[in-house]
Amino acid sequence: MELRKFTRLSMLLALSVVLNIIESFLPIFNGMIPGFKLGLANIIILLTLYIYGFKDAIYLSVSRVFLVGILRTGVFSITFLFSLSGAIFSLLVMTLVKKTNFFSLIGVSIIGSLCHSVGQILVAILFTGNGAIYYLPYIMLLSVPTGILTGLISKELVNQFKNIL
Amino acid sequence: MKKSDVILIITILIISSLIMLIWFKKKEGNKAIVYYDSKAILQLDLKQNGIYEVEGAKGKVKIEVNSHGVRVVAENSPYHICSRQGYIKKSYETIVCLPNKIVIKIANEEIDTVVR
Repeated sequence: MELRKFTRLSMLLALSVVLNIIESFLPIFNGMIPGFKLGLANIIILLTLYIYGFKDAIYLSVSRVFLVGILRTGVFSITFLFSLSGAIFSLLVMTLVKKTNFFSLIGVSIIGSLCHSVGQILVAILFTGNGAIYYLPYIMLLSVPTGILTGLISKELVNQFKNIL
Repeated sequence: MKKSDVILIITILIISSLIMLIWFKKKEGNKAIVYYDSKAILQLDLKQNGIYEVEGAKGKVKIEVNSHGVRVVAENSPYHICSRQGYIKKSYETIVCLPNKIVIKIANEEIDTVVR
């Protein structure tokens, strides 16, 4: 890997970890809907996906989950497995959707945030049974505003950084 | 934003509200079922007040039943999400306590037999 690209990807990785930690301080819906968050780190993942492509994005996404796991929740805890499954599932679906060119970045972002939650719910069903599926409609509904928010930010960032990164 | 994005947003909104309408026809349940590791371990009658204790994965989970419904009073978990959630009373509402592998679900006898 080219050194310049390597440095920039590390910088993006650091940014996504920081965003992940910052958003855990935001008390939005905290406790009302377990596991709901803004998904600010998805901005960085989207940026990487659009500028560098799938391979680098999945490296970044998985390393982010591991780093956050080491820093906050502990590796291989249940929360860690949730994040991992959500991150991988959402990135796979986002890549597929992006390839079809049917949606703009904002649509891809909404689908990504939806699939992040769906991936987590799938793992939650494995661990606790069908109870977790009742969060699905709430989480579907909430993924629309958060997806639009992260989509708008990433769109602006992609436009700004297209030539620099 | 493309036109397809708007269609996507509207579809998600419609689907999720439809699921909500079907699942959450709010009807008060008459019993609560406590699951540990997805096995039913305790059935509580909502009309009978009382405090119950069950063994979770991380220690004892204290469950209270009174006229407001069912709630988790005390439990041992890092974020205390389930005890902060408060009371549940209506059919298909759930309290999930992941660290303790405890799920509390409200059920309604008539509905339950139909579902099963």
